[in-house]
Amino acid sequence: MKKGFAILAIALLVIGTLAMTGCEKKPVGTIKIGGIWPLGDITGRQGSMAAQLAIEEINAAGGVMVDGGKKLLELVVVDDELKADKAAAAVEKLVTVDGVEVLVGGMASGAELGKIPAFKKYGLPVVSTGAASYTVENALGGDASWYFHLHPWDYNQGASYAEGWAAIQEKFPDIKIEKLFLAYEEGAFGKASWDATKVLFGGGGYVIDGAPFKSAALGGGDYASVLEAAKKFGPDLFLWAGYDADALPMLEQAKAMKFNPGVYLGAPPGWPADFGKSKLAENVMLYGMWAPSMNDTNVASKKFYDGFVAKFKEEPATYFAPLSYSAIYIVAEAISAAKTTEKAALISALAATSYDSPLGETISFSKSNVIPYQGIRRQKILQWQNGRQEVIWPFEAATESPVHPFPAW
Amino acid sequence: MNRNLLRALAFAAGALAVSLPAFAGAYPLQVARNVIMYMALALTWDMLLRSGQISFGIAGLFGLGAYATALGVLRAGMGDWLSLAFAPVFAGAAALLIGFLILRLRAMYFSIVTLALAEIFRIVIHNLHDFTGGPEGVVLDGVMLGGSAAALYWLTLGGLAVALGASWWFEKSKFHFALTAIRNNETAARSSGVDIFRWLLATFVITSAIQGLLGGIYVQSYGFATPDSVFDANFTLLPLAIALLGGIHSTIGPVFGAILLGLSSEWLKLRLPYGHLVVYGVIIVVVILFMPQGLYGLARKGLRRAEGRAE
Repeated sequence: MKKGFAILAIALLVIGTLAMTGCEKKPVGTIKIGGIWPLGDITGRQGSMAAQLAIEEINAAGGVMVDGGKKLLELVVVDDELKADKAAAAVEKLVTVDGVEVLVGGMASGAELGKIPAFKKYGLPVVSTGAASYTVENALGGDASWYFHLHPWDYNQGASYAEGWAAIQEKFPDIKIEKLFLAYEEGAFGKASWDATKVLFGGGGYVIDGAPFKSAALGGGDYASVLEAAKKFGPDLFLWAGYDADALPMLEQAKAMKFNPGVYLGAPPGWPADFGKSKLAENVMLYGMWAPSMNDTNVASKKFYDGFVAKFKEEPATYFAPLSYSAIYIVAEAISAAKTTEKAALISALAATSYDSPLGETISFSKSNVIPYQGIRRQKILQWQNGRQEVIWPFEAATESPVHPFPAW
Repeated sequence: MNRNLLRALAFAAGALAVSLPAFAGAYPLQVARNVIMYMALALTWDMLLRSGQISFGIAGLFGLGAYATALGVLRAGMGDWLSLAFAPVFAGAAALLIGFLILRLRAMYFSIVTLALAEIFRIVIHNLHDFTGGPEGVVLDGVMLGGSAAALYWLTLGGLAVALGASWWFEKSKFHFALTAIRNNETAARSSGVDIFRWLLATFVITSAIQGLLGGIYVQSYGFATPDSVFDANFTLLPLAIALLGGIHSTIGPVFGAILLGLSSEWLKLRLPYGHLVVYGVIIVVVILFMPQGLYGLARKGLRRAEGRAE
């Protein structure tokens, strides 16, 4: 009898030990990720939705392996309202009340600047999806080893445009760009674009001119003088930096004035929802990071797109959606690699990131001008063709060849 | 209400405000800082309103003070405290010069000119790229007081104390009689010997200096200044909404308004992340439409009625 009990006890211990070490555990507990976006803006709204989609996909696949067990991820989202003080309060709330272990999100540089003192105070890993202004990295400083910046800095973007146009001209010899005209909205965004364009294209053998206009988004909407100046200059590339409200009215006035540059390119932060449906939109070029047409060539893009549309019954209309989706996957992969959420180990794992993103490139981090961990460095050059945004450059992500010149009216 | 009871309540509220860091965490302190900042701005707006002049220039003077502090540190090598002291001096001096030009205007003409102030200052800052950093703004080496949540809360509370003190002084000094007389009937006030321009200029300079000080505190609390952030229209519109909600022509009204609007805004944001601004906007519109005298006015009316019934 005693022998029987002993055998049973040993058997139970062996089975228990095997179960402890060899079998996959059910998820216990959650790891909280704090997300801060401007939820009243489409970039933040769809960015946070895409992040939630990523969380659900990861949890459906069993979560992440931590400390020998599986844990689910939980996203806690707070609106920064595009304000520095509200953004700072969001960080404080997420860290001290919700107890998040990683922070993601961000869009406007002004709001990001407001978060930086709190970021520095806590030193938690941050995977930032926004903030293009170089002032943000100046405020972070070179020792911000906990800050992983996905979005390209403004100087990265400008350099990638110069690189892209040089590559396009080399590959398509019928496209010749020597004279460039920038119509820029008179606010901070447009002026910064003008300053960057002068610096980046000025030294590249281009002849540059430009003029400001008052954006329709800010009470303007008459582009006659800026288009007249552009027409007189006769640019090979006409670039406008304004807001979505300027997109169609400016095109209509350009058509009325028979202004027909070789390349007509817009660089607003977002486009009107139905811009592609307008006949005027055909062959207009734009800068961006992602377009639904990439689903044809990129598996990760299609997976993201299909998941987003199935869950939210709307199309992702901004690249902040796949960018935020990527941020969550990057965090999840780093946690799984580190097998812990301990700060130093997680930061090391994030630094070693190599993630095949829906944005058509593998994201990894390396040093920027100031901070140690910069992710994406290039924007894409796209073109509206048959109502779709097609990627023209980089060529490895291209979905179509450029149509040139901009059709005569 | 019994005056002693009011004093006791004010003392208790003050003690609670000062001791808040002893029992509140970093998040409540940050929310409190935001509430206090807008409360102080609302008070300064209301102080000028007591003369009947509606100013839309709060963001302009706030931004001017913010840049005075930031550039004082970066370009003139000032210490943190000196740069903070420089902000009200600079904003006040600017208000003195502007005041000579615009304080002859009345009603909507004065309001329109003050509305343009923020935009003019923003454009000037925007275009002095080498000195002000242009549209990208400027970044300080760090935030004041080592970024301590409690210390920064007390710093902002100090700004509020200045605004509250000035507002209380306006209520208890000749300012009250002069500004009320100007608001009620300028001709009658002038014939009674009130030097209208002098009183208006003094009020404009004092309120602008406080707005400048608050701008300086903002910059030292967040460590940066950009034209889009410190000249943001919210620094004009929210103080207006706060004062109107709480009740105008008083010190207590903007205090109530800021607490109510500030806390409800944060609470709504946490409960309705994707729709809170709509609800927040509707609340402001409804209150201003149906309670034009504000909460303080409503409370006073209720108290008077209760006292009437008791008699």
